[in-house]
Amino acid sequence: MTETQYIGKKIRSKEAPRHVSGGGQFVDDVSLPGMLHAVVLRSSYAHARMGHIETRAALEVPGVVAVLTSEEVKRTSRPFKPGRYSAGLQKPIPEYATAVDRVRYVGEPVAMVAARSRAVAEDALDLISVEYEPLPAVVDPWEAMEPAAPLLFDELDSNVAWKGALSYGDVDEAFQSADQIVREKLKIHRYSSTPLESLACLASFDDASSKLTLWCNGQNPEVLYDALGEALDVQDVRVILPDIGGGFGQKIHLIRKYVVLTGLMSVKTGRPVKWIEDRTEHMMAAGQSCGMEFDIEAAVKKDGTVLGLKIQEVDDVGGSVSTLTIHFTNKLNNLFSTYKVKNFRLEGRSVVTNKCPVVPNRGIGKPSMCFIWERMMDRVAQELGMSPVEVRSKNLVPTSEFPYTAPNGNVYDSGDYTQLLEKAVKKLEYEKLRKELKQKREKGKYLGVGLVIGLEPGGRNAARDMAIFPDVKELPGAGGVEGATIKLERNGSVTVFLGAPSCGQFHETTTAQVVAENLGLSPDNISVAPRFDSEVSPWGVASSNTGNNFHLYDIGAVHGASLKLREKILQLSAHLLESSPQKLTIDDGIISIQGSPDKTFTFNELGKIAYGNQSLIPEGLEAGLQTTYYYKFPHAQPFMVPDKEGRVRAQFTFSAAAHGAVVEIDTETGRVKVVRYIIVSDNGTIINPDVVDGQIYGSVAHGISVALGEGFVYDSDGQLLTVTLTDYSKPTACETPRVEIEHAPVPSPFSVLGQKAAGEGAAIPSPAAIASAVEDALQPFGIKIRELPLSPEVIWRLVHQGER
Amino acid sequence: MKQLIQLRINGQAYEEEAEPRMLLAFFLRETIGLTGTHVGCVVGECGACSILLDGRVVKSCLLFAVQANGKEITTVEGLAQDGELSPIQEAFVKHYALQCGYCTSGMLLAAHALLTRNPDSSEEEIRRGLAGNLCMCTGYTQIVDAVKAAAGEYKKV
Repeated sequence: MTETQYIGKKIRSKEAPRHVSGGGQFVDDVSLPGMLHAVVLRSSYAHARMGHIETRAALEVPGVVAVLTSEEVKRTSRPFKPGRYSAGLQKPIPEYATAVDRVRYVGEPVAMVAARSRAVAEDALDLISVEYEPLPAVVDPWEAMEPAAPLLFDELDSNVAWKGALSYGDVDEAFQSADQIVREKLKIHRYSSTPLESLACLASFDDASSKLTLWCNGQNPEVLYDALGEALDVQDVRVILPDIGGGFGQKIHLIRKYVVLTGLMSVKTGRPVKWIEDRTEHMMAAGQSCGMEFDIEAAVKKDGTVLGLKIQEVDDVGGSVSTLTIHFTNKLNNLFSTYKVKNFRLEGRSVVTNKCPVVPNRGIGKPSMCFIWERMMDRVAQELGMSPVEVRSKNLVPTSEFPYTAPNGNVYDSGDYTQLLEKAVKKLEYEKLRKELKQKREKGKYLGVGLVIGLEPGGRNAARDMAIFPDVKELPGAGGVEGATIKLERNGSVTVFLGAPSCGQFHETTTAQVVAENLGLSPDNISVAPRFDSEVSPWGVASSNTGNNFHLYDIGAVHGASLKLREKILQLSAHLLESSPQKLTIDDGIISIQGSPDKTFTFNELGKIAYGNQSLIPEGLEAGLQTTYYYKFPHAQPFMVPDKEGRVRAQFTFSAAAHGAVVEIDTETGRVKVVRYIIVSDNGTIINPDVVDGQIYGSVAHGISVALGEGFVYDSDGQLLTVTLTDYSKPTACETPRVEIEHAPVPSPFSVLGQKAAGEGAAIPSPAAIASAVEDALQPFGIKIRELPLSPEVIWRLVHQGER
Repeated sequence: MKQLIQLRINGQAYEEEAEPRMLLAFFLRETIGLTGTHVGCVVGECGACSILLDGRVVKSCLLFAVQANGKEITTVEGLAQDGELSPIQEAFVKHYALQCGYCTSGMLLAAHALLTRNPDSSEEEIRRGLAGNLCMCTGYTQIVDAVKAAAGEYKKV
């Protein structure tokens, strides 16, 4: 990029001043006259048939206004349409906002109470009695697959609700020409990203106009909007997404159940209804990541070249089919990671169990795909007696090959993976470090190092999931479309409306920097609307705080809209200054003719003219200074839509990073301490360095903590044992290590400013880095790390009981 | 039966009725209208609802409103003085020590209490001082940096 004034610079944040003053506006901060408070009755059984739900006593509690039971939900609403993640079902399985006739996981919603206060609603909840006929719970996916296992869904022949495969290149040939086959079994547990603000909805139905207004903290307006249309048949829907207290994928899918429930309750009572989920409800029922198991074979040459990979995957998707294939298809995003391997087969099974349904979380699917590659690279190195870095280097996509088309259709825009690895080696003093750590281990101090590399794909292609459903005729969307509206106000300030919500990634600040750069105006004079409002936000299929979309789509739209506005400003100014647009410059909100600085117009003066003085607006120029620009990724071909070989571009930009972890293990307690953690990161052109660093710090902290123990535990009856943040082992500032970041950006040739994603990224390689380092530290015990999490209990058992 | 309580919040006197079972966090948010105090777990684990009660940091979801009778409370809305952000608020802004903003109020009050008590806190002491406050977004790094940076201002007092 040429010299910039605001892009890439440190600036004062737009969002932070309101948040440090308590001035953020979250859903729970909104109150409407006559508003009722709702609470949800949930199943206490993992698996049971439901009979009559008795609500009389609850309705008699003073202050209770209405109870909505599953029977009424079924009668007065329609099931959700099967979405892109359940397109593979042979027979449709209707899913409503609550369980109907049968509950399939602890915490599944059964009824809702609305009362004048939350406390009264909770009192009434205790007075509802549900006739349950308990059924045997199926908790383990392998048991669920056995022929005699109780079936979760009558519509299915078995609990294997979906089976499918992705295959690229000639896998059989690769295995025939291999010198050696390296085999491994890996497993990743269920976890979540636990946003601090739990799910929240406020629905207000106006009977007179048949209009439903929803305040919600969902990440994807499309899901909420469609859910209300599908389930309630309300056509006039307005969705408002104010400040959102963290998302990470948790607030995309299951939230639609509560949107529909609060909507129904508002229709039923004629009053606004607010529902705020509590923490235990969130842990039980707001969605978890998928438990995944992999049986892997790698075909390798003696020199360390990996010819191909064969994987069999089992996904434990819990008690719903609505997100059946979501963790499987997300692997398409980084299926080949940073490697030039050509031959690949992944066979998957999605198994329903009596556990919470699965949803995305930071990185979804991709941390496990990276875990597979990186564990296998270590394994190959061990079996061939090579250095782990040497094996990786040998298989990396060469820098000269960008843009690189991976066998599954992904086009890697830019990168220099060799450089990332080399810089990490240098930063760690890797070879020297390995020797030192070996010496320490010989003296009984268990330290180890892991060095891995991974991708961070960004900018979702809406057609991705169709790669595994070649027979589906109707695409749920393709590519990505996202808008931005920008206006110069009467007083000369600039306001921007984005098409997508933010969950705390400083979208307002980053947007202001791009607009400031393009308009020649200080970011202090630019304000970005802090909320999504479906009535005014210019939104499309990419308008979602998911899929690492912001950098590509929102910035693309903001860039386009601000250049369009600049053009209009220059046209009007040229007329007023009796000059031509080409001869004008803008600096700090003042337009002047190059070379004659005394003839100027300010943004303030232009605002007054554009909205107030028709006599000064030239013929042919639209009055007002407002533009909307819809960005669509201009390089989306080839493979925007899956071809016959299942090749599709899952995402459009590819950041990458090398992660190095040094850990020390206390073998008496099993505790793993992260002694050092370094990241060398390529996120393309960086617009705001503090924001990018913050995203890296946050996502790596999550990945490390996932590897070291945070996660869900169920007992054999399907009861969740980790219903609080403490049980779940969420780390504090004490357990979270300080991470060193080095930037090595390679700008994208495809995006407007060369920018690439920075969001979920560091959560992708970090579990693999920790696993690698822990295995290295435990070398004296001959322990192989095949499973996450590596909690103190697990490590202690590995060391002392040789368990695994 | 509602009870009458008298207390001072951010320097202002209040006389309000509260149900005995009403938690202080909800009293502040709903009765008083100070929605800057956030609720993340209601069981004292996350610290989002942290406030100062007679100068000490407490989790307002673990107290009933009636227990605050006769006490002096500071919420996040009371940190700024004369329209100027306080040093700890300013440091959080400057260091990007937040992302979604949901933990921020509690984090600020915990940090303020810590630095008031010990402006010479080491990084380890800062981390321990904030251990009652969870942040799901930031990985804590920029928060710790902000607290370190603000410490100088507390030494001057």
